[in-house]
Amino acid sequence: MSTPIVEFRNFSFRYKTQTSPTLHDINLTIRKGEKVLVLGPSGSGKSTLANCINGLNPFSYDGEITGSCKVAGMETKNASIFALSKVVGTVLQDSDAQFVGLSVGEDIAFALENQGIPRKEMLPMVDQAARIVGMEDFLLHVPYDLSGGQKQKVALAGVMHGDVELLIFDEPLASLDPRMGMTAVELIDRIHREQNKTILIIEHRLEDVLHRHVDRIVLMNEGRIVYDGEPDRLLASDLLTRHGIREPLYIMAMKYAGCELEPGQKLSDIHELDLSPFEEKLKKQHLAKVDKYVPKIGEEILKVENVTFAYGKDPVLKDVSFTIKRGEKVAFVGKNGAGKSTMAKLICGIERPREGRIMLNGADYTSLSIKEIAEKVGYVMQNPNQMLVKDMIKDEVELAMLLRGRSRKEIDEAVKKALKMCGLWPMRNWPVSAVSYGQKKRVTIASILVLQPDIIILDEPTAGQDFRHYTEIMEFLDELNREYGITIVFITHDMHLAIQYTDRAVVFAEGEVVADDSVYKVLSDDQVINRANLKQTSLYTLAMRLGIEPEAYIEHFINYERMVRDHGKPAAD
Amino acid sequence: MENRLLINLIPGDTFLHRLTGKTKVRTFIILLVYIIMSFDIRLIMPLFILSIIGLVSLRPNWKKVKYFIIVITVVNLLNIVLFWLADPDIGSYWCGGGNTVLVSLTERLFLSAETLWYLSVRFIKMITSFMVSLVFILSITPSEMAAGLYSIKVPYKICTIFSIAFRYIPDIARDYNNIKVSLQTRGVELDPKKASLKSRLKQNALILVPLIITSFERVGNISNAMDLRGYGRGKTRTYYSEHEELKADKVFKAIYIILLLFCAYWIITQNIMPQDFRMWYPFV
Repeated sequence: MSTPIVEFRNFSFRYKTQTSPTLHDINLTIRKGEKVLVLGPSGSGKSTLANCINGLNPFSYDGEITGSCKVAGMETKNASIFALSKVVGTVLQDSDAQFVGLSVGEDIAFALENQGIPRKEMLPMVDQAARIVGMEDFLLHVPYDLSGGQKQKVALAGVMHGDVELLIFDEPLASLDPRMGMTAVELIDRIHREQNKTILIIEHRLEDVLHRHVDRIVLMNEGRIVYDGEPDRLLASDLLTRHGIREPLYIMAMKYAGCELEPGQKLSDIHELDLSPFEEKLKKQHLAKVDKYVPKIGEEILKVENVTFAYGKDPVLKDVSFTIKRGEKVAFVGKNGAGKSTMAKLICGIERPREGRIMLNGADYTSLSIKEIAEKVGYVMQNPNQMLVKDMIKDEVELAMLLRGRSRKEIDEAVKKALKMCGLWPMRNWPVSAVSYGQKKRVTIASILVLQPDIIILDEPTAGQDFRHYTEIMEFLDELNREYGITIVFITHDMHLAIQYTDRAVVFAEGEVVADDSVYKVLSDDQVINRANLKQTSLYTLAMRLGIEPEAYIEHFINYERMVRDHGKPAAD
Repeated sequence: MENRLLINLIPGDTFLHRLTGKTKVRTFIILLVYIIMSFDIRLIMPLFILSIIGLVSLRPNWKKVKYFIIVITVVNLLNIVLFWLADPDIGSYWCGGGNTVLVSLTERLFLSAETLWYLSVRFIKMITSFMVSLVFILSITPSEMAAGLYSIKVPYKICTIFSIAFRYIPDIARDYNNIKVSLQTRGVELDPKKASLKSRLKQNALILVPLIITSFERVGNISNAMDLRGYGRGKTRTYYSEHEELKADKVFKAIYIILLLFCAYWIITQNIMPQDFRMWYPFV
């Protein structure tokens, strides 16, 4: 057994601004060279735990510690954030804000500059760190030219210098597209093996992290550790669903099929997992009758015809055409910069096409103002804090009507309807600042719905949300679609979301639409997956291993899942 | 996000670009003193010519630079015209009391050779200070600026403000645009043709609320990221962007030290031994 690098003993932590502790009675040992995943829903204390190791707690966020936490032999409450930063490197979630240098080289050098290391010694160190993460050719690049994944690599290189032994990744996958997320997981794994560092990953996206082996999973909920052990045993148990973590899709499929999962079965690796004991059940399950889901789709509502658009010289969108029908749920997917957000901006009238036209209900509306278009197409931004301007929920929701000079009676009626649709009517007089993130999201949606648009476009509606909040937001949107027939467009990286909640995916790559088809067809097409930086789901791998046509398998799974969601699990026969 | 500012974030590769931040900052400060201290065309003209050479040698993006040069020239022309209107006889005070009228419009409005001389020198002086600043701004990156200020004993926490501000201005501009767009879709009218100035100002204030909130979130993250990489640990720090002094830096160092001594000499003699006229005037 190697020596421990982190040791929590009967450790509790309470933020000064809160009345009750965020972490309770933590006992946890992490040994040198281990790779540990800390899993838990939002508010479970997993980030607090990480911040207690790197010293942000209690040195940046004041709080009260009871018990002991030793990092590399130092009792953290007696150490300093600087002493700890020599041993612990932390890659934060916000890859943009943590990029403090004006170029890649400078950012990697930042920690060395602060230690006062002469430039002559600094250069080879920066070079080496950049080489480890594969950014050595980018040293003179400015942050504005980099993708999220590249910024994250730079952040990693910037904390890896010298004696750093423990690397903490705080939600490393949150803002990456599926392919980049996969690359990030692979990079972390390589660093772990080649650089001999201890790794601590804080995440709630279990399936994506399991793309590479982890030694141990620590599951947290409500400030306590509820599981600490090997991944396989956790996957076989029902702890994940009980504590609001999404199970990997292949595990869900196996559980639907009634497979008896045992800890000794390498469940954490879909490629290594021995399927022979389950094959019969899985194949039988595939034949089980499901109601074929037929979305309620009306007439054509939006038609995009040969649209071309460019900010400068290089076209961002090239000859794009597709249609959306009333009541549809459509996902725009593709990597960052592929043109999906620009397409949304064109539909909302924020930008205007250079060529081609966009028609709503058969009429070209590109000559209308943004304000007028907004009454037909609503746009909900990713970060609700960028949309909320009023103190009170009701004031926020009525703003759009007020600015249009509608009569009081008309406003009250529309506001009441929008608030009721969003389940916010009882909270109408609450201050906006007092509600949760998910509720803020609802407020922003209500403030758009108040104008009764035909279509709403949501930019990454669930980014950074754990499974419970994700489900809450998505079920709510599904209901809006079902009950009120609202057409919804999702701009998303989340393939789970696309599979589970949309009828169709429009896939963008390099400014072109490379696929426009049902989600399961898109996700079974290798060529599209590669061009659009998507990732095959584990269902695809499972189907291939079982020798079933992946497209049919994924479709069956989606329909079965929808049935379970709507009616509960059918009784086993 | 495109870089729309005049400032370079990545150092260029011309002679002036390659100097260290320390050399650039020190030279700039001494040149400013040099320009401010006198109204003597014999001192200012060489610098004016050098600054033009410097600007050309930097191979700037003329499209961006042209705009600034035109605006500054027009403003300064306007400035000297106003000077002349306010007191057409101002030259006689500065140039030793003479009053050689060249053109006389009315009794009060006339143009004397002395005034023309004084205003021309004044104009060239203003343009030179602008040119020197422009060369300085175009040749330096914010990180070199921070390093340069640090080299003249400015506390590094203040130096950091320069580099960090330039790092995050484009990010904040992007946030501002996002918020603006989202409010526009909700009906905030920012089109000058459709809303009055007063209502536009009022509506712009709406944008500030979310902008401030998101910026505070960002500041929190930035300061955490800096803490975690040991910022503020020591009393001193080093700069990755500040390379070792090259031969050119040493030459510049000799020049700016001589210039500094000359400035000191000039300021002392000019102030201790007042002259009967205030500026050099060849036609007296």
